[in-house]
Amino acid sequence: MSLFLQSLINGILLGGIYAAYSAGFSLIFGVMGVVNLFHGEMVMLGAFITYFAFTLFHIDPFVTLPFSIVLLFVFGYLVQKVIINRVVESPPMISYILTFGIHLIVAYSALWAWSADFRTVTTGYSGMNANVHGMIIPYARLVTFGIALFVVMGLYLFLYKSETGRAIRATAQDKETARLKGVNIHHIYAVTFGIGAAITGMAGSLMSTYFIIFPQMGLPYTILAFCIVVLGGMGYVPGALWGGLILGVIQSVTATYLNAGLSGALTFILLFVMLVVRPAGIAGKGIIE
Amino acid sequence: MPLVVTITGASILFLVLPAVGRVAGVSEYVIRFLAIIFLWIGKTASWNIVAGYTGYIDFGAVAYFGIGSYTTALLMTKPDLPFLLSMLISGLISAGIALPIGLPTLRLRGVYFGIATLAFAEAMKQIVLEFDRTAGLRFFEGPHGITLPIGPGNEFFYYAGFVIMMIVLGINSWIERSKFGYGLRAIRESELTAELCGVDTLASRMKAYAISAFFLGVIGSLEAYWLTYITPHMVFDVLITIQMVVMALLGGMGTVLGPAVGAAFLTILYELLYKDFPYTYGIIVGVIVVVVVLLMPKGIIGAFKGKLRVKS
Repeated sequence: MSLFLQSLINGILLGGIYAAYSAGFSLIFGVMGVVNLFHGEMVMLGAFITYFAFTLFHIDPFVTLPFSIVLLFVFGYLVQKVIINRVVESPPMISYILTFGIHLIVAYSALWAWSADFRTVTTGYSGMNANVHGMIIPYARLVTFGIALFVVMGLYLFLYKSETGRAIRATAQDKETARLKGVNIHHIYAVTFGIGAAITGMAGSLMSTYFIIFPQMGLPYTILAFCIVVLGGMGYVPGALWGGLILGVIQSVTATYLNAGLSGALTFILLFVMLVVRPAGIAGKGIIE
Repeated sequence: MPLVVTITGASILFLVLPAVGRVAGVSEYVIRFLAIIFLWIGKTASWNIVAGYTGYIDFGAVAYFGIGSYTTALLMTKPDLPFLLSMLISGLISAGIALPIGLPTLRLRGVYFGIATLAFAEAMKQIVLEFDRTAGLRFFEGPHGITLPIGPGNEFFYYAGFVIMMIVLGINSWIERSKFGYGLRAIRESELTAELCGVDTLASRMKAYAISAFFLGVIGSLEAYWLTYITPHMVFDVLITIQMVVMALLGGMGTVLGPAVGAAFLTILYELLYKDFPYTYGIIVGVIVVVVVLLMPKGIIGAFKGKLRVKS
């Protein structure tokens, strides 16, 4: 029983991280219909920002969060403004290929500049755990989980309570009408992409304290973000939380009772079945074309 | 007519090249390199049958390539079947698996089809990797991979690759002008209209998907025999699918020559750059992809055709 509880806790904590880096993917798809294939590279960039701030300037990983948020926002804003906005009216196929091209450029530039070495950010509190009735809870993961919840909620509030959020939602629902009402949709697209990138980069920074960092790490994260967002419902931001938690728990429980490799297989079988049976996601609020 | 002459001429040239080459001193390297190009054209053109004509972007095409490789590896090591028979069975098994997979996934639209096929390919990889350990058997050999019997020299693969490539290109060209192909393209342009015009859209898509899977399986089988050693990470590599997508896009999707031009171009670029500049190769391909999408979204062939049309 305690083994089960422990793996449940591990799964929930893992799910929080999954949710943190997938929320941006869902936002970008929901508003622009762009399937962003360099999503994982934004995780990688966030992680590297923290790594360099930590090793070169000895800044605590949690203090580096604002840097990755700002830098990734600028990165996302510019990529959308300069490149993706040109094809945003074309069929979705074009946007996959375009973002895949950007994935290649970013991933290989990073490989070129920083080499394929595996790096870690090891702080004084990296190995510290809370022990609650025999259950082990790593502090770093717990904090990440808290921040992830906070971010998804904050994003939700931003979309529903602020003026910009209203413009973003209007653009997502009907871009022509939004345009008629005076929304500059290309600006909104760029801001949305920037916000998505900022959240993702922040998640990358948070994860750098307990995952290995290397330039080629992006693609698996992109594929996992796909799964999580489909589970929760494409384009429905709080769905990322559901998707992340479900996937985290399933992976952790199968890794405990069966084997770790099988949890990968199960993830994809689940994704496949989910798409066929219920493409709008667990909550049923995702976008179906 | 001139097109037929060109194709026949090129075919004869390619068919006699190894024989002439032996006399004239064309190195084994050239034969091998051309065979690699043929196989990439074959794969990209197989992918094009579904993605280019019906507009259903398959992100898991490598699954059928891998299934073909593994079927051949198992057939040639367990019951010791001869290669050509194994190759045929591999193609049929790939197509056979494509039917139950295609039936639910081809009902999905746009990006959902892409993700579902990607999930299928990744699941196949994980299953082949983990089956033995989970079931306690020695069948797929998991991450250790399977060693095939040593095959013939590069010339065999040159000819086999050439024949398969010509067949796949022939099918593409048949689709271009047959009623079946018009149906597929109608699906791409507007599925509802196609349905209203009497095209059985699901059956047409299934047929295209199974044909594509058959040839991917055959090519997977051939490449496994050539490599003589396969692991799930090699033959279910998502990068193989991505290469097909990029090659087809670069040349021009939904055309006969597009995938051939794109595949040849990218393979040559890879050969030129990868040895000396492995990292810049990735960056350059990325830049090419971005530029192609922004400046000529219909690919090299599309841009070329567009120019011709303006003149006439």
